[in-house]
This record gives sequence, C-alpha cells and structure tokens, in this order.
Amino acid sequence: MIVLGSTSEVAQAFVEKALQEGEKYEKIYLFTSSKETTERFARHLDVKFLQQAEVIDLDLMKEIDYTKFDHINSNVLFCAVGYMGDGTEEGLYDHRNTERIIDINYAKLIPLMNYFAQKFESRRSGTIIGLSSVAGDRGRQSNFIYGSAKAAFTAYLSGLRNYLFDKKVHVITIKPGFMETKMTEGLPLNPALTAKPKQAAAGIYNAYRKQKNVAYVLPVWGIIMMIIRNIPEFIFKKLKL
Amino acid sequence: MKPNFIQKVTNWGNFPIVEKEMKSEDSFKKIKEFVLNHNEVIARGNGRCYGDASLGEHIFSTKKLNKFISFDRLNGIIECESGVLLSEVLEIAVPQGYFLYVTPGTKLVTVGGAIASDVHGKNHHSEGCFSEYVIEFKLMTENGEIITCSRESNADKFWATMGGMGLTGIILTAKFKLKNIESAYIRQESIKAENLDEIFRLFEESESWTYTVAWIDCLQKGKDIGRSILMRGEHAFQHELPQSMTKNPLRLKKKFQLVVPFYFPGFILNALTVKIFNFLYYKKQTKREVKDFIDYETFFYPLDLVHDWNKIYGKSGFIQYQMVIPKKSGKEGMKKILEAIANSGNGSFLAVLKLFGKDNQEAYNSFPIEGYTLALDFKVNSKLKKLVDQLDAIVQEFGGRVYLTKDSMSKSSLTNYLKNVQSSKFVSLQHKRIINNK
Ligand SMILES: Cc1cc2nc3c(=O)[nH]c(=O)nc-3n(C[C@H](O)[C@H](O)[C@H](O)COP(=O)(O)OP(=O)(O)OC[C@H]3O[C@@H](n4cnc5c(N)ncnc54)[C@H](O)[C@@H]3O)c2cc1C
Repeated sequence: MIVLGSTSEVAQAFVEKALQEGEKYEKIYLFTSSKETTERFARHLDVKFLQQAEVIDLDLMKEIDYTKFDHINSNVLFCAVGYMGDGTEEGLYDHRNTERIIDINYAKLIPLMNYFAQKFESRRSGTIIGLSSVAGDRGRQSNFIYGSAKAAFTAYLSGLRNYLFDKKVHVITIKPGFMETKMTEGLPLNPALTAKPKQAAAGIYNAYRKQKNVAYVLPVWGIIMMIIRNIPEFIFKKLKL
Repeated sequence: MKPNFIQKVTNWGNFPIVEKEMKSEDSFKKIKEFVLNHNEVIARGNGRCYGDASLGEHIFSTKKLNKFISFDRLNGIIECESGVLLSEVLEIAVPQGYFLYVTPGTKLVTVGGAIASDVHGKNHHSEGCFSEYVIEFKLMTENGEIITCSRESNADKFWATMGGMGLTGIILTAKFKLKNIESAYIRQESIKAENLDEIFRLFEESESWTYTVAWIDCLQKGKDIGRSILMRGEHAFQHELPQSMTKNPLRLKKKFQLVVPFYFPGFILNALTVKIFNFLYYKKQTKREVKDFIDYETFFYPLDLVHDWNKIYGKSGFIQYQMVIPKKSGKEGMKKILEAIANSGNGSFLAVLKLFGKDNQEAYNSFPIEGYTLALDFKVNSKLKKLVDQLDAIVQEFGGRVYLTKDSMSKSSLTNYLKNVQSSKFVSLQHKRIINNK
C-alpha cells in the first residue's frame, strides 16, 4: 500500500483497519512531510501487526525527484493529502495562503498521483482511493479556495476513474464531511455530523471492499450535500454558509 | 472559524464538570511548547479517574500519544507511548500468550494513567501495584526536558511519579513487563458470604489465590451487614480448560466486539445495567459455591461490557469513594463505614471489597497499604458531602487512606501521602482543592 499524507489520522486509521481485517502488504510506503511522527507510526505497525513499512520524506512544495520512487510497487494507493489553510476572513487576500492551498490540494499533488496511476495502469490492476471533501461539492463563502481545489481534485478523480476503467484500475472518491482530526481540532463541530478517524476508516474500508465509486464517510452528508447542491443560485448567494 | 480549545471536560463520575483548555499533540516538540507556554498544566489520559485528578487550567490530553514502540515477544517486554490504552496492549499481548501483571477493573485506561495512579488490581495481595512491573518511562519535566526514569536513573522521579497523579510531569512513553499466560480464560470460584465475619475469613483463606475480590451488598443492616460474594481466580492452564475452549485458547470469540460501539438510550442502559449488576450481586447465585471457567473480559472487566454505564447516574454525576483501612482494625472500621452508609440512606449501587497485601515502601505515593479497601459509588446530591465527611472521619480514626484517583470531595488530611511532587507547573484542580482544604 502507498499512503500519501501519512500523518493524517484517517490515513493511519485506514491502514490499521486494513491490517486488522487481515490484509497483507509486502510493504507499506508512508509518504510524509513529518518524518518524526511517521517513523513512530511505522514502528507501531511493526509492533502491532509485524508489518514492514518504509517512510518516505516528501514535501509537495519542493521539487520532487521521481527516480526515488522507482522501487515502489503496490496495488493500493491511499491519498489523504490535504491542507485547509486559513479561512476566508484571514486568508482570502493572502496570495501565499491561496497558492499553498491550491498547490497542496491540487496543483502539486496531481503529477504525483499521475506518477503512481501510470504504474497501476501498466500493471493493469489496483485501487486508488482519494480523499476529497464535501467542500468541493459547492463553493461556499467560508472556504471556497480550499473548496475549489477539492472540487478540482474531485473532477480529477472522476476523470481518472473513467480513464482507468478499461485498464482494470479502480478509483474511489471519498468525500468526508466533518472529521475529528488535527485539521478540525478546537472547532465547534456538531457531533452527529462528525466522524471519528476510526469510524471514517471503517467506512472507507467498506467502500474499498465494495469497490464503490463515490462515497461519503457519514451517509447523512450525502443528503446534506444533495440539498446544498440544489439550492438555486439566487438564494444560495444570499446564504451565510 | 478559529479553533477554540476551551471545552467542557469531565471525568468518569461526570462530577465536577469544568470549562478549560484541553489540547492534544503527538510531536514531542509541540508538547514541549505547550508545557513552556502555560503556567499550569496537567496531563489527562482517558479520564477514567472519577473526579478532578486530571482536570486543571490547561489540560494536556495524551490521546495522540497512541503508538507502540517495541514488543519483545520472547521476554514479554513492551514499550509504548503513554496514551496507549491497556485494552490495546491486551489486544496484541493476549494472542501471544501474555497478560498485564496488574490491571484495574476497566481496560479503558491509558498506560500513563496507570502509572500516575499506580493502579492496583484483584491481585494486589500477591503481585502488588502496576509500578512493580514498570522498567522505565520518559517524563517531560517543567522545563520541557525529557528524562528517562528507572530504578537506576532519576530514581527519585521514578518513584515520586508512581501514584504521583501527574504532578511530576507528563509521562511520554513507558516500558513494562508482561506475564505469561496459557489461555485467555480464568478458572474462577465464587462463594457467597452471609456477613462481614464470613467474608473476612474467606479473604484470609484465599490468600494463595492470585486474584480475589468481593462484591458487597452495602444496603444490608444488622446481622446481614457485609453480605457479599467473593470471587477468586487463576489464569487457566490449557490442560485444564473444558473442551469448548481448547480450540483457540488465546483468542476470545467475537461477541465482545459487538458490545461497545454505540450509545444506548437511557432506558435500555438502565435495564441492561441493572441486569448485570443483579447478576454480579447476590441474587443470581443460588448455590453457595460456583466453580467455572470464564474469559478474561468477563472476569476482569464486567463493567466495560456496558458502554457509558456512568450515565445511569444522571446529569448530576456520581463519585466513587475508595478508602483503605489497616488490616488489624479492618473489620471494625469496615463495619462502621457500612453502618454510616446504611444510616445515611445514600445507597451505593456498586461496592467492591478487597484485601490489600503489603505496600511497596519505595512507591511511597501509591495508595495501597496492607488492609481492607472498599470502593463505593454514590450519586451526587445535596447530602453527599456530609456523608463523605463522616466517612473521612472514620477512615482517619483508623489511620486509613483515600484513593486520590477516585476522589473529588475528601479532606486533605487523608491524602497526605502525596510526597515530593510539589511543582508550580504541573497543577491539578484536585491538588489545589486538597491544599486549600488544609
Ligand atoms: C470502571 C472503573 C474501574 C476502575 N477500577 C480500578 C481498580 O480496580 N484499581 C485501580 O487502581 N483503579 C481503578 N480505576 C481507576 C483508574 O484505573 C485510574 O483512575 C486510572 O489512572 C485512569 O487512567 P486514565 O488514563 O483514564 O487517566 P486519567 O483519569 O485521565 O488521569 C488519572 C491521573 O493520571 C494522571 N495522568 C494521566 N496520564 C498521564 C501522563 N501521561 N503523564 C502524567 N500523568 C498522567 C492524571 O493527571 C491524573 O492525575 C477504575 C476506574 C473505572 C472507571
């Protein structure tokens, strides 16, 4: 398994869930921008599951040397890369904030995804799981920079699914709503709409087993977003969402 | 939306409830920043202490320190971060033929919490406290330094931290020993006792058993005072197991994973809980003595089978009052305690009696001393403080102690075994309350 964004609690919970379910991997490749904590996770996997893992340092904001990934061979890719940046009030007109959000969630991420997609394509097998966001379903005033990058990512996954279909590679788009993670720590979230990492991982694992195309982590978000998507624009623009 | 780390925090008894800053980090560098940037800090594990021990102005939750570091499968030595739950240790240890040397009555406590309270189990008389099996731990001190504490290095901090209630710093990681087992089952005997005399005799007779504990019906008066069931147990060897358990002796059947996951509505919880309690209590057992084999979950953690059972006490919460009375006057002391409770009309749903063995002199902050210990749950109401004062007075009269990890109301005079922990940085609400109570 290849994990992009390995410090993500959801990614870690997903890896544990898969191993608990008895999945075996020759090796798990943990891509991360935070070596210290990811190395701890790699050791944890070894102790708990006798599972080998390799930590690979990666900073999307820097030039990437792809030759370093030549040895990587796997048939599951889990991408939990995400960066929320500052919200509209603090960050809208801060161009560095804007660039960083777009780069990490989309611009710099896609070439990396493509690199692995190509490997899967030539092997004619595998599953690619991408964590997008409900924020990409419709732009809202509170975080539409992030939302637009995620919308682009959602569109990318959809196209990739279509492109890889007859190459025997499956692509799953996961749309988490609120999750109790580092990204949202300290925010006043409604507990009924908020998934804990373990709960999210179980839902994603289920989508993986069933080879779903698009899945919300908590089903209630499917309904909420359907409503939000269908509000006519002349009303929507007046709402404070 | 800007993050706001002020939130409502409460421990297992849902009393008291405070609104304080609570934050969690998984990088040691960030933990250091947290410690250095705040005047008063206290660590919190899984909040299974009942009262105010892990509450403070700035709470550092160890929730994210949840990784294993090493497991020496040959010698049964495990190392992990302090926020790892005992249940997670058991998950990997039991299938390998290992068990915790010492476990409290719930497995949902963290390793850090087990050290900070130096927890005891049903085997205190035979195997002592958690500290006996700790090889070393890493502690973050007031200046953000990380020191390794063991019997050899930083021994003063090592011992002060055992039962030190988080007042010596934040435990980051710990390495400890596990015991060998041959099966995940316990050979159990439960024996009914009519009264205090009989239960005390049974305890003393059962000293050669590794595990002993009694569930006591503390609403009885007069000659029935002390009516109870003693349970004693041993880890079962493979050869003695009944046929049905021999196929996979180190693995439990799946049913236990089904029990916990969701929140029961109040009425179901009530019915379920009452059932379980009645089962554990006197009524269900019709024979005087029952011998059988049961899985370790049922033996050690019957309460964990009911998710969120603490909510049955309602919004006002409850306290657990646990004290120990020295052995020589144990019977007399217990009688007085039980009389005071029966007369107060403040019933306790759950009461557990146990005989502690000799204390470990080195672990001077640990609660257990040789004697009888009783743990009682009381719903919080306006009369409770008066009862606690009464109980405190009896405990003091007999030279006993109150268990800090469950305390939220007692007097300072009973808790003065907390030594060498003064710190202006690591301060809990409990410690402040105790000091101001002088
Ligand atoms: C149903 C039930 C049964 C129980 N049975 C028993 C029993 O049989 N025997 C027994 O001894 N106890 C028993 N307890 C009490 C429990 O074992 C202790 O309160 C334990 O310390 C709780 O651990 P925690 O991780 O929840 O820590 P918390 O409750 O969050 O904290 C407890 C104390 O540990 C400190 N602490 C926690 N983590 C750290 C850390 N990393 N570094 C420094 N300090 C830290 C806190 O500051 C606080 O003082 C029981 C509790 C329950 C709810």
